Amino acid sequence: MERSETYHHRRLDCGIEFAALEMPGRHTVALNVRVAAGMVDEHESKLGLGNIVEQTITKGTDSKSARDVSDAFDAIGAQFTGGVGRQSTVFRCSCLPEYLDRAGALIAEVLRTPTFPEDSFAVAVQLAQQELTAMEDDPQELASRLIARHAYGPRLGRHELGTKETLAAITRDDVVEYWKNHYGAARMQICVGGAIDVDAVAKAIDKQFQGFGNRSADAFENIPVEFSAGVRHQDKALEQEHILMCWPGVSATDPEHSVERVMLGILSGGMSSRLFTEVREKQGLVYWVGAWNEHPRGAGMMFAGASTTPARCDQTARTLLREIDRLAEDITHEELERSKIGITAKMQTHGDITRARVGELSGDIYHHGRPIGVEERKAEIEAVTIDDVRRYLATHPRDKLCVQTLGPRALEEFRA
Amino acid sequence: MTQSNGFHEHTLKNGLRIIVETMPHVRSAAAGFLVRTGARDETPELAGVSHFVEHMCFKGTAKRGWEQITRDFDDMGSTYNAYTSKERTVYFGWVRVEDLERQIELLADMMQSTMPTEEFDMEKNVILEEIAMSDDSLERKVYDLLHERLYPGHPLSWPVLGTTASITALSRDSLHGYFVDRYHPRNMVLIVTGAVEPKAVYDMAQRICGDWTPAEPRPARTTPTSALTGIHKGVVDRFQRQAVGVLYPAPSAADEDRDIGDLVASILGGRNSRFFWNIIQTGIAANVAAGRLDYCDAGLMLAFGFTEPDRADELLDAMRGQIKKLQDEGVTDDEVQRVRNRVATSLASEGEAPYYRFSQMIQEIDVFGVPRTVEERLAVLEKATPAVVREYLARWPLQGDGAVISLGPRDWPV
Repeated sequence: MERSETYHHRRLDCGIEFAALEMPGRHTVALNVRVAAGMVDEHESKLGLGNIVEQTITKGTDSKSARDVSDAFDAIGAQFTGGVGRQSTVFRCSCLPEYLDRAGALIAEVLRTPTFPEDSFAVAVQLAQQELTAMEDDPQELASRLIARHAYGPRLGRHELGTKETLAAITRDDVVEYWKNHYGAARMQICVGGAIDVDAVAKAIDKQFQGFGNRSADAFENIPVEFSAGVRHQDKALEQEHILMCWPGVSATDPEHSVERVMLGILSGGMSSRLFTEVREKQGLVYWVGAWNEHPRGAGMMFAGASTTPARCDQTARTLLREIDRLAEDITHEELERSKIGITAKMQTHGDITRARVGELSGDIYHHGRPIGVEERKAEIEAVTIDDVRRYLATHPRDKLCVQTLGPRALEEFRA
Repeated sequence: MTQSNGFHEHTLKNGLRIIVETMPHVRSAAAGFLVRTGARDETPELAGVSHFVEHMCFKGTAKRGWEQITRDFDDMGSTYNAYTSKERTVYFGWVRVEDLERQIELLADMMQSTMPTEEFDMEKNVILEEIAMSDDSLERKVYDLLHERLYPGHPLSWPVLGTTASITALSRDSLHGYFVDRYHPRNMVLIVTGAVEPKAVYDMAQRICGDWTPAEPRPARTTPTSALTGIHKGVVDRFQRQAVGVLYPAPSAADEDRDIGDLVASILGGRNSRFFWNIIQTGIAANVAAGRLDYCDAGLMLAFGFTEPDRADELLDAMRGQIKKLQDEGVTDDEVQRVRNRVATSLASEGEAPYYRFSQMIQEIDVFGVPRTVEERLAVLEKATPAVVREYLARWPLQGDGAVISLGPRDWPV
């Protein structure tokens, strides 16, 4: 049963950039709120502030206690989560269609009238301190934090938890000030999807957020990447050595973005991809190996990583790099087609999940300033040719590399 | 051909059962084989063999080498994987509906693996790396410690991955023997969910699996017993946090009390729960939860958290305090209603994607033979009241000190 899906996109009177995806027949609705408030907006002496704000904003409003807020979401069975990113904070909500209006009103209340109680704020700082300790037990997350600093530079490459010292320096006044400066209708994008009446939803949201915050132009800005090549190691007592490497890629809006996506599929799409085949299946060096990209607004970064026991880390790192560089030499037609089908088929299968579709729409509005739509994106992927991939690799050579290892020993004789 | 519980079911002559759930509103389908064997069905010498077999099923068949297997998955753009647990091994793929037959054929071919000798040693390296990776995870290590100490000597105590020693010692022939013994139609179920026609699926299964030869059912399992007392601890210096758990009796996966057990766990340690407000939001620990660990014939109620080592006492006391309060005073109407509302939304989300439905059905099919519909699962919660929870707590009391589990840098409790 194929029913037509329609995209909508407009600026609401209250200042919010609003997008909607009408999906008749769906049994849940999803709503994403993106606020132009990220880690880049923190003062360098108060790193971790954006996360503390996001954690504390739900802990009380002018008319509700912290528990009342949680109970109100539970009263309509709405799942509500938030997370701070490099350049924005995103709040996600899923619920049954009949509760969308109440969920929207509740989210508006939380974002507009937080009381940031002193005790909840103090607990949020304590918990962030504990999360920093927890990260020491999570080598993959720790290695990501280490490489991000060098991949993106000191501002864009921050970690949401900050440091023990910067967390200790944060006051409740900082929280209130950050919220006042960065939260507001003109600094927000809201995306909704499901079996919804778009005009009614837009009208409700417009009313709920009318008059919220100061209006400021260019709320979502691009921050330049400060890439720092090099091979770096941090010692840690672990069974396995974690290896991460990264190099600049293209932004989500670059004309070559789809080409890069197809190339990445050849490198690390499924189990038949090059990294899995060469590093795991043929040499048995690892259990985990992969490659992926990340897109800060206006930029792109390619990553590859693996973890292996220390005696095998040099061979693993060499193989990873060899496979990345070999892409320019011998891509086959079969690999190209396989990568493309891997992307387009998943658009259809994963497209059955409402919240996944809304997440994608939110990304489109954030990066492109418009909904892209499944058909357009699919056509872009299908149009990619071997020559496109070769041209991409020729014009975007992997000529600088940032490598981070974490574990019992550094790499020997590794040349980036 | 019968229809039960809104699901469609059929059994081939060789004993292979097929269960189909039709989801007309989607554009995809998920298919997979449930193989009814897992770590608890191994002998001590073969610890880890079920999981090793799972890896080897990707390594070659009479028709395909390992490269062809992975290429065939990727040529469909399938979202696929496999996993092994204490009680079962599952292989699945989630594809566009037009690729369903190709997906079933590929998975079925893997169930007829040749366990190729030439790939065995290489895969052993991969599994040893997986064990090393698991050893760096406090969460995985405490899960293994818990089973090792609470079910000593029982097969449930063996780690799913096996140990470095058992995997190093494992021979290809023993692996092959285990595979032949367990991978046959009477010990497997084919499960399909999505925009499919049941009859068409049965026909595909007949074409693809109709000539499989049945063998004897898996050897019977021995029911474990656990005293659920005492202190069970381990010290690993390199971790920064202490994992602290306390365990009480709980219904097994086959017990009709299981849903109420999950309700209690949710009120105690789920979202917006007693643990959240009284332990996390008082800053004692960032990560605390409660849940039921269940097997076909055994269950545990586990309250656990991760904290700074010097706050382990505080965490344990706080968890016990909340548990005692719940046992003594029961739960409120509001608390039950909140869980009900949350479950209604998550069931609606689950119903959107064939892969989610597939994953959810596995345990019920394994334990009861048939899954429950969303309506049936909601109906149990509709009937749940504070009085029902009180009766549950009389049958499955959260009383006394429970069994304590502790793992981390601190040798605690002393």
